[in-house]
Amino acid sequence: MNPDLHSWLQDMVARYERPLCQYACRITGNPDHARDAVQDTFLRLCRKGVLPDDHVAPWLFRVCRNRCIDIIRKEKPMEPLTDARAAVLPAPDPSPAEQAGLRDAASLLLRKLAALPARQAEVIRLKFQHHLSYREIAAVTALSESNVGVLIHTGIQTLRRQAAQF
Amino acid sequence: MNPSNPDIKLTAYALGELSEDERLAVEARIQNQPALQAEVDQIRALAAQLETELAGESAPALTDAQRQAILAAPGAGHDRGRLARFPWRKISGFAAVAAVVTLVFGGAFWTATRSLHGTLLAQIDEKGEMAVMDYEEQQLDELLEELSPPDELADLVIPITPPDVEMDMTPPPDIQEFAAAPVMSEIVELNLASEAHSPLILNTLSSGSLANRAGGGRRSSLGGYRGVGKMACAPPPSSRKREENIRVLVNGVAVVSPIDEMTVRPNTESYAPIEGNAFQSILEEPLSTFSIDVDTASYANIRRFLQSGTLPPPDAVRIEEMINYFPYTYEPPREDVPFAVHVESAACPWNPAHALVKIGLKGKELDAENRPPCNLVFLIDVSGSMSSENKLPLVKKSLQLLARQLTENDRVSIVVYASATGLVLPPTPGSHLAAIHAAIDNLQAGGSTAGGAGIRLAYDQARETFLKDGNNRVILCTDGDFNVGITDSDELASFIADRARQGIFLTILGFGMGNYKDDRLETLSNKGNGNYAYIDTFSEARKTLAEQAAGTLFTIAKDVKLQIEFNPARFASYRLVGYENRLLAKEDFNDDKKDAGELGAGHTVTAFYELVPHGAEPPAPAVDPLKYQPQLTAEDQPAALTIDPDNASPEWLTVKLRCKLPDQDTSTKIEVPFTGTFSDFSEASADFRFAAGVAAAGYLMRHDAAVNSIGFQQVVDWTAAAAGPDPEGYRREFIDLLKNAAVLDSP
Repeated sequence: MNPDLHSWLQDMVARYERPLCQYACRITGNPDHARDAVQDTFLRLCRKGVLPDDHVAPWLFRVCRNRCIDIIRKEKPMEPLTDARAAVLPAPDPSPAEQAGLRDAASLLLRKLAALPARQAEVIRLKFQHHLSYREIAAVTALSESNVGVLIHTGIQTLRRQAAQF
Repeated sequence: MNPSNPDIKLTAYALGELSEDERLAVEARIQNQPALQAEVDQIRALAAQLETELAGESAPALTDAQRQAILAAPGAGHDRGRLARFPWRKISGFAAVAAVVTLVFGGAFWTATRSLHGTLLAQIDEKGEMAVMDYEEQQLDELLEELSPPDELADLVIPITPPDVEMDMTPPPDIQEFAAAPVMSEIVELNLASEAHSPLILNTLSSGSLANRAGGGRRSSLGGYRGVGKMACAPPPSSRKREENIRVLVNGVAVVSPIDEMTVRPNTESYAPIEGNAFQSILEEPLSTFSIDVDTASYANIRRFLQSGTLPPPDAVRIEEMINYFPYTYEPPREDVPFAVHVESAACPWNPAHALVKIGLKGKELDAENRPPCNLVFLIDVSGSMSSENKLPLVKKSLQLLARQLTENDRVSIVVYASATGLVLPPTPGSHLAAIHAAIDNLQAGGSTAGGAGIRLAYDQARETFLKDGNNRVILCTDGDFNVGITDSDELASFIADRARQGIFLTILGFGMGNYKDDRLETLSNKGNGNYAYIDTFSEARKTLAEQAAGTLFTIAKDVKLQIEFNPARFASYRLVGYENRLLAKEDFNDDKKDAGELGAGHTVTAFYELVPHGAEPPAPAVDPLKYQPQLTAEDQPAALTIDPDNASPEWLTVKLRCKLPDQDTSTKIEVPFTGTFSDFSEASADFRFAAGVAAAGYLMRHDAAVNSIGFQQVVDWTAAAAGPDPEGYRREFIDLLKNAAVLDSP
């Protein structure tokens, strides 16, 4: 690899590893799958080469999102649930004790966020966690920009209404 | 932003998402409104809280091994990716099909899912078809190209193909051939039409088509952009040129900034860019070769624009499809040949110094008693997007029209696809009208997911009831956003082409608007040796499926190609009117393996050539003298090459025509020499005058420089004087549309 690309790539990994892992984990619900998706995303970035600064974030999130969806849909049919497998699989829902712990850890606001329709929660995370603009979010999610605006608006309104109730 | 909802705009304002103009507008609105101001503050407070809390969320990290694998990966930017880019770009339009479908589908499943965790997995699994559809990161390349400011368009290096998937993306041989054709042929030399020549291109030039859409300045096709097609990999300079147009426009008029509109176009109609054919020197290019095209969808689409009070985007205007929309009174063939050829000439109405030559074909007519039996399989999209009044309800009415013409020898089946694929009508004799009508009546739009093995099931049905001497045809009714079970776009095209070779043809009926994917449907129907029509009203359904049903359903000749040889003693240059995406290389004419258009029973096909006599040429743009080879002048040429106008043939041109009978693989050739006259336009036949008027209207809508001296009103006069008896009212309707266009076009 040429040295410029290598150091650029190092920068990109340092900067986007955590945001992408957060994002991927939200989509796949599985840290291992999230890591795989993020690794795959960066490998694709290697092959692609240096991108203009303002393209990097939407490119990475878009590719990462697609990798996650690929992984989810490939995962299920390849792993039939056998007794042996069921024994080692974690229960789908956190145990009551874990739930209590989670509740304490996550703020009220984040729990409300998690209760929003998935698409609203996703664009809100892209906006406020990953600081993408409406246009970039549109590029990542393949929604239209105005659709992104509507989703964010609706999500924010719901969160505000709920905040007012408490 | 959606301007109709001030609340959404307020949120966008609070989050700093508005453009300068919009921001000032909102500020003016909330200035004396403490309630609105408070709302903005609350939104910002919530946003800040979200940012803080989300920043603190835990996340998994990559393992060290993963990080090392990334940084040790082979580098980017090697040439393999770029080499592979060209064919990929050609097929990228098809990938867009998958992406669009995925978008619709994906939307549904995101909404349906309340949590991103366990339920999401379950959702995806339930709707297993999703797994078939493919997101492609290449989609993003196009997206990002659109995102980038216009000036960067040409500079952005995007090697498309990751090496490990290179094999998968190599299109099957027929597509490759198709995609590569412009490079090898002299069509490249013609003009940018070589790009449009491959109907597979979709998005690569979208910035250019955008400029057109915004109604930009008139662009010239006279000598413009020659040779650009050679650079098929790079965005053509013309797109940048047009980009400039749009910026001028943006400054003058309140138009959305190009970037905004490029990134997000809620209206997903897509048109491959069309560059009008340029004038060709007869000495340099004595042969003009093209495939016939009897599709008429562009006209119906243009009508929709004009009826709704807008001029159509220039790239939606296919002049040959406009001309061929109208029935002409050409004599059918007298002997037992598939069609008759009629050639006529007159002075060109938009430039009387030029001659206009009309070549008309008339297909053999089939009488109802003697027509071969039909084996029709309707493949109907019943997904949710089809529910509006001008889609599925219109499909039903259309099919009932068609069903009424069937007899007991015919077979009809109906396959539907949406969330499920199913056979709703097993093969049924055409005389069992009640059963057919009941099946049609019961069709309902529903289900948010497209998918299933629709197209395979339809072709399987067609094969099961295959009628050896009959007309075996799948009729796909869709609004264009279709995913019929084979999601790989190449695979879909080659599947259709393969079945066409087995004798099952494809007709596509496009319904509805907004999602209408014009060029894609045309490509697919061409692959299937079929035709496609755009049906937007009941009267259009009547025209396609009742009055001209024979033409729609019965192919009497396939792979019909025309090659015209011009006599350089009589004329200096020529141009073909329309047919930009039907141009063929001259070698293709005698190559029976090259696919071309089909002619239906009773169909007429009309093509015009505008001929420039010696002395009437526009001043040619200066070309620098050659550096490495001596410039040939008239005196240097061998005697055999010089043309003595007095001893040369008086003929203007020779029309050569090749076609195959529907069940044959070798073609026959017909040659028709033609000696024309420069008669006054007003003395030409009514068909000639009307069709020439349609061509002129097409050029006006395409903003072609050659018709600068005329306006829509003149075309109204020409066509009104040539409307003739017009029993169905098609010509009168066109004249009304032209009146709309005249009003819309006036400054």
